[in-house]
Amino acid sequence: MVLEATMICIDNSEWMRNGDYTPSRFQAQADAVNLICGAKTQSNPENTVGILTMAGKGVRVLTTPTTDLGKLLACMHGLEIGGELNIASAIQIAQLALKHRQNKNQRQRIIVFAGSPIKYDKKMLESIGKKLKKSSVSLDIVDFGEEDEGKPEKLEALLTAVNNNDSSHIVHIPPGPNALSDVLISTPVFTGDGEGGSGFVAAGPAAGGDYDFGVDPNIDPELALALRVSMEEERARQEAAAKRAAEVASSQNQGDEQSSKSQDTTMADTTGASAAVATDAAEPMSEVDALLQQAIALSMQTPASDSAVRDTDMSEANNEDQDLAAALQMSMQEGEKDSSGQMDMSEVLEDQAFVSSVLASLPGVDPNDPSVKDLLASLHGKSESSDQKKDEEKAAKDDEK
Amino acid sequence: MNQVDLVDFIDWSGVECLNQNSAHSIANALKQGYREDDGLNVESDADEQLLVYIPFLQVVKLHSLAVKGPEEEGPKTVKLYSNREHMGFSNVNDFPPSDTVEFSAENIQAGKPVVLKYVKFQNVRSVTIFIEDNQSGGDVTKVQKIAFFGTTVETTDMKGLKKIEDH
Repeated sequence: MVLEATMICIDNSEWMRNGDYTPSRFQAQADAVNLICGAKTQSNPENTVGILTMAGKGVRVLTTPTTDLGKLLACMHGLEIGGELNIASAIQIAQLALKHRQNKNQRQRIIVFAGSPIKYDKKMLESIGKKLKKSSVSLDIVDFGEEDEGKPEKLEALLTAVNNNDSSHIVHIPPGPNALSDVLISTPVFTGDGEGGSGFVAAGPAAGGDYDFGVDPNIDPELALALRVSMEEERARQEAAAKRAAEVASSQNQGDEQSSKSQDTTMADTTGASAAVATDAAEPMSEVDALLQQAIALSMQTPASDSAVRDTDMSEANNEDQDLAAALQMSMQEGEKDSSGQMDMSEVLEDQAFVSSVLASLPGVDPNDPSVKDLLASLHGKSESSDQKKDEEKAAKDDEK
Repeated sequence: MNQVDLVDFIDWSGVECLNQNSAHSIANALKQGYREDDGLNVESDADEQLLVYIPFLQVVKLHSLAVKGPEEEGPKTVKLYSNREHMGFSNVNDFPPSDTVEFSAENIQAGKPVVLKYVKFQNVRSVTIFIEDNQSGGDVTKVQKIAFFGTTVETTDMKGLKKIEDH
């Protein structure tokens, strides 16, 4: 997106009649020029491009640097082929045209299409290059067409004289099946100093091929940033969910894993970032939540072998959102197999008085109900055996913290 | 009026230097701290000439110029152009300079300020320094320090104000 004024020097000498590039050298060159004009004006709306012809009766400036793409394309029509290439005066005139550009903040660049033999010697070209370098003008050379002995070397010498920090480039294009413009697209002539060109080439819905989200950070930094942040958030959420699922799986039967995972992810979606926080706070909360789910389980008269799934799920649900937890709990029960892991409940159940008081507060549950009492007793009996599993789970939760 | 160092009034966003070596840029010679360091200098690139354009934040009067450089590669002939924007090497000889200073080897090494033709620099918005050649005539010119001394036109320097005695 460099702000630049460019002068394109077109070779319209007799050598351009040759057909070794399809359809003719001149046509191929014209296509390439059109592409370049488009690319430059698109990469920065303030860029200006001018065109001059190097052969014919003499060097002629067709347009001074302008932002008007229509004018540039119109210039390319009606050009006549003839005469001989005069590269030295062409470059000097191009330099003069750039000097009188409107916007002095623009950098200066000359693009030369060298399709015919160069009659100047190396020394002359080098001094021209030096003058360009002194005035900080960058030069791009497209060497195509006539393969003259010494031509590539002369052009390379010119390039080294001008080149300052790789801002100038040379491209040698041998005749072949590929169109001149196609080959040029992939070169630094189009891509500038390594930026911008790909944006033009991939213009359209698929724009911004280089960029992660199809959004050019140069054009729309806020959107690109927002996309990146939401990607990372989603990733973090999924990692947290995966961790929870792994933890659950390690303390659970295989069968419940899938339902727990799906539940975990749905829980994650609903609770968002707080899920991670909730998991960290799982251990201190587990007692209260376990108590709650125990109460619910009893009211539902299901076997009290509540899975650790419910433990973790309950703890993941917000403290405030216990109704939601209850609803989810119930929906989970339908898809669940019985498991034998009891974990934290045992420590809660040890305090029978507490449990009885809670059960008493629940509607529809009579703590004096024999079935309830039996259940409590059985749970309590299992407490010692489940102590080990409880310790494992605590250790896992410590690691997660 | 006291002559102050005008480095504070330089509009850095507009400073340009043509034909400088990109590794040794003009900031090395102009900026406070960099210019005191004799190891940091601005060097010419393609040949020995340098063209430095310095705009100021406000209108100033230039009194003197200090240029410091090494004995061999330091500048010799320095031409100053006042209020000419965006000069290039091609048109630098089209206008007469506002002032020309020829440095000898000793005073370029010492870097002492040289008094300029004050009358030519009364209303300076920008100054262009054209370093035409160097002491030894070699291909590379090196400058360690460039400093302008003068006064500002619009704002009054409070330290310079003296209390007017009541009669």
